Amino acid sequence: MKKMILIFVICALLLVSLAVWALRGKVAGNALELLETGVIFILVGFAFFLGLSRVRSHLRKEPSEDEMSKRVMTKASSLAFYVSIYLWLFIMYISDRITLPTHSLIGAGIMGMALVFLFSWLYVKAAGMRNE
Amino acid sequence: MNNRIRELRARLDLSQLELAQRVGVRRETIVFLEKGKYNPSLRLAHDIARTFALPIEEVFCFDDGSRP
Repeated sequence: MKKMILIFVICALLLVSLAVWALRGKVAGNALELLETGVIFILVGFAFFLGLSRVRSHLRKEPSEDEMSKRVMTKASSLAFYVSIYLWLFIMYISDRITLPTHSLIGAGIMGMALVFLFSWLYVKAAGMRNE
Repeated sequence: MNNRIRELRARLDLSQLELAQRVGVRRETIVFLEKGKYNPSLRLAHDIARTFALPIEEVFCFDDGSRP
């Protein structure tokens, strides 16, 4: 129950901070900002979906987490960590070749890691976990 | 690993949700088990077999061709 609430609180905080950023008039409206905003919406949608599935399980009187969901999370996390190492290597490689502020590169890396986790989770769910 | 969960569940007229509630997992786990996309822990395999009042080896069987 605590995790369910935490997921929705984090989603709300992200959306509020995005709204504050937009309302303060610091939006340049360039392609990079649009991309970042799109990625944030995708991640919030994913977190919201996870939270909703937990609520549905709770309403059906099932455990919100069981051995399979924990193993999916563990496998997706380990896969995402492995891929993220290469993502950071790529960011280090391109940081010498393009002129972007350091905070933008770090932000892109963190959002990239979240996206990698999302895709790892989807991959593990689609492929299943046979013979492990 | 192959299993007979779907067949045994139909025989007892149990829904996926009912079986999930009896063994204390989410319905999604039963769906994955029936599709052969997930191998259960020994504990879960034992609980499922006990629900059907059968020994584990009559519910789950190893397919030698799927050895990792």
